[in-house]
Amino acid sequence: MIDSLRDAALQVFLSPEIWLIVILSAVYGVFMGAVPGLTATMAVALFVPVSYWLEPTPALAAVVTMVACAIFAGDIPTVLLRIPGTPASAAYVDDAYALTLRGESRRVLHAALLCSVMGGLVGAVLLMTLGNQLARIATMFSVVEYFWLYLLGLSCAVVVSQGSALRAMVGLMIGLLLSTVGLSAVHTEARFTFGQPELFQGISFIPAMIGLFGISEVFRNLLVLDSPAKSQPKPQHDNDNTAVSENVDAKNTSLRSEQDLAATSAAATPITTPIRLARSGVIGALIGMLPGAGADIAAWVSLAVSKRFSKRPELYGKGSLEGIADAATANSAALAGRWIPALVFGIPGDSVTAIVIGVLLIKNIQPGPEIFTKQATLVYSLYFVFILANLILLPVGWAAIRVGGLVVNVPRNVLLPVITLFCIVGAYSINGGYFDVGVMLAMGVLGFFLERRSIPLGPVVLGIILGGPLEERFVQTIVSTDGSFLAFFSRPMAAVLGVLCLTTWAVTFFVRTIKRPTGTPGAGA
Amino acid sequence: MRPTFGLRFFLMSLLLLAGCSRNGEFPSRPITLLCPWSAGGGTDRVSRQVAKQLEALLGAPVNVVNATGGAGVTGHTRGVLARPDGYTLAMITPELAMLHWRGLTNITYHDFDPIILLNRDNAALFVREEAPWRTLAELEADIRRRPGEIKGAGTAFGGVWHIGVAGWMTHIGMQPNDVLWVSLNGSAPSLQELMAGGVDLVCCSVPEAQALLDGGRLRCLGIMAEKRMASEPDIPTFQELGVDWSLGGWRGVALPLGTPPERRDILQRALTQVVRSEEYQKFLSQANFGYAIEADAQFLRTLEASDKEYGEILTSPAFQDVQRQRIGPMAFPTILAGLLVLGVIGSAMTGGPTKNTDEYRFNRAGLLRIGVFLGGIVLFIVFADTTGYVLAGLALLLAFLAVLRVRMLTAIPLALLVVLPTYQIFAVYLRVPLPWGWLGW
Repeated sequence: MIDSLRDAALQVFLSPEIWLIVILSAVYGVFMGAVPGLTATMAVALFVPVSYWLEPTPALAAVVTMVACAIFAGDIPTVLLRIPGTPASAAYVDDAYALTLRGESRRVLHAALLCSVMGGLVGAVLLMTLGNQLARIATMFSVVEYFWLYLLGLSCAVVVSQGSALRAMVGLMIGLLLSTVGLSAVHTEARFTFGQPELFQGISFIPAMIGLFGISEVFRNLLVLDSPAKSQPKPQHDNDNTAVSENVDAKNTSLRSEQDLAATSAAATPITTPIRLARSGVIGALIGMLPGAGADIAAWVSLAVSKRFSKRPELYGKGSLEGIADAATANSAALAGRWIPALVFGIPGDSVTAIVIGVLLIKNIQPGPEIFTKQATLVYSLYFVFILANLILLPVGWAAIRVGGLVVNVPRNVLLPVITLFCIVGAYSINGGYFDVGVMLAMGVLGFFLERRSIPLGPVVLGIILGGPLEERFVQTIVSTDGSFLAFFSRPMAAVLGVLCLTTWAVTFFVRTIKRPTGTPGAGA
Repeated sequence: MRPTFGLRFFLMSLLLLAGCSRNGEFPSRPITLLCPWSAGGGTDRVSRQVAKQLEALLGAPVNVVNATGGAGVTGHTRGVLARPDGYTLAMITPELAMLHWRGLTNITYHDFDPIILLNRDNAALFVREEAPWRTLAELEADIRRRPGEIKGAGTAFGGVWHIGVAGWMTHIGMQPNDVLWVSLNGSAPSLQELMAGGVDLVCCSVPEAQALLDGGRLRCLGIMAEKRMASEPDIPTFQELGVDWSLGGWRGVALPLGTPPERRDILQRALTQVVRSEEYQKFLSQANFGYAIEADAQFLRTLEASDKEYGEILTSPAFQDVQRQRIGPMAFPTILAGLLVLGVIGSAMTGGPTKNTDEYRFNRAGLLRIGVFLGGIVLFIVFADTTGYVLAGLALLLAFLAVLRVRMLTAIPLALLVVLPTYQIFAVYLRVPLPWGWLGW
């Protein structure tokens, strides 16, 4: 074991080839993550033909690096333009953009970068030390456990939302209802398709996300652009707080900031603490390793847990750097987690690992329990690659923040048309079709009106993502237990998750709805 | 004189550009290969391998587009509806012969011009290593003892692997619903569920379960094929075990009807060369996929045969009966709609959802701008396919910039600076098939 460990370390850290590939993939990954509509999966799929020429270790290094970088880079448009680059960033889009409007975009991005790197490292260490044991937990997850996990993820979206929990629930239900459009995966029957073949594929979440956040924000800005009474809010860079507060307009003052402005800006709270890092990292890795869960659920759950333990929970949803940090840690930690089922069982946890398994097979390497003995050096190399990838992310991500930061200096009347065009291209890229552009547009209009009714958009997106799987698991559980509802608590892990989930709902509604009947501190004022 | 000359020159160069791309040899621009399944799956991997080799042979980029969703309806429909100019190829899978039997689409194999079948993987039956059944006969006996209690999975309800189990049941004189089918979306989650103990057997192809099989976690009870696999000689076939039933998932390439014959010939020659090549066969054997090649008429016969066979199973009364499930497709949306109404009423009672007073007020100029943006995107959707991304994108951007009162002197170079590089990056480097139109390159 020591031998293969040493070989692996030499192979990874001393090979100029690996360094070069990792740096190139980092730049590529950052680009793919930063452009909404291009995903980490697409980045990896495009890379497959290139991987044929590479040895297994460099090929894996490239995949690991580009995915890690893409997940961080998803934060860049999230923070600067309020368009989540990847679904994993959707959890904290409101927090991040609120801070950007206050002129703290660069601080947010630096925090997100730092936390992504540390989260990635925590995930890598967990993968290295506990990979095999954790894999055993993953085998305990059957449809029932997944049902509760998805429900827990959805509950977290309600918990973290700012303002009334009921409104967040309305948003969630809208998202879930949208997810039922198309061919029901479990019944394979068409629903709400009105005979249109395009609608069979349903509403994919990436164009929906671009529309709900990006296009609706464009519309909001169009409404106030150069209107005489108000100047539009313009994202600012840090360093000049007085200038910023002068620029804050009527909407800003009342809706998002004022009372928190001083608090957040002045507060010298550390970006993260060892305890929060460990907590978010473990949550991320645990959720990430479950096939069918992933970085997005990890971010929501971590954000909810973070809010529960925070000293300033009232800031969540309105610009909490603490929340952003914890969620960014978790979604990066989840990346290492998802390799666990892929390596140990050869069962892909998501589309990226599915492609990786394909690449490994081409190299005549069969993932599975035996990989740890037969290919020990490769497995250790993979661990080291995780560490290297996260270290490289630091300078590359920093450079990307500098470049991305230029966006805030572009005048709004130039920026809005360009953003719109990018949204169109991004939505088109998903499936190479116009249907998704239409979905994006429709969701933009929906998002615009929901925001006017102060219904948060985050839960809508999560509803669209998890609606299908949630229904599937629900129906599968009922089918496989012959209709007994007791089945939802019949397995130990299911019972634990179920109780956890129900407690979350009970607590949320009692605390937020009963205690404060008028209770919407920010939005309802 | 000068402006006229300038205009003429511009038109001439447009014509030249267009002419170059139109009259040149086929193929003169990127080809799209539609894959009805998602990136990373088996069909996607085969598609990407074929695309890579086809690209080298034809000298034009071949881009794989994952037109996923709707259990294959989306991808197959887009394949049929594509412009029959030889620039869109469709990867087709057995679902083509299933979906229309279940009323999910009108499309059948008659709507395609099949070119070549290039892979076939037979279904196999897997149970956990610690399962009580050591042979297919033992499993069969147990199913007979307690019909409807043993749970199976492998794909969504009515998918190819479900047909595998249903056909097996039918051939031994039992009903398709004697194995309770848990509709899981794909073989990976099904195997996960098998490991977690949620189902008792999984039907899928051998390569999909290879890792767990090699790792000693699964036992394969038999393969639904005429002869044993070369790579797994120990797995008996169903025929050897006395069940005359075989079923395979296959993949093939087809064109939309009406493709010009000379282009079809070029594509067919190239595809045949790809499938016969050593590189392709090496790819298949390394990835554990089964090799098969059937051209034109033979492929058509296969399509005909599977269409008939699946039709018999899918329309049989027993299968129809299985389809009526405990939880109907409308149950979940009904619950959601109920909760939505409750939520709306609830928040109305607790002081919302009133109009957010702090939001921007509607004003005429603002609404007009929103209207232009909305209309612009709709026009883009309608016209981009004809004019191509470059022209549509430029027009869209210039219109938006004009509405936002950016001076044309700034707007025109800016638009060029945005549209041209995005086309280059997306269409050329990232293989996103942005519409080609009049000015693509």
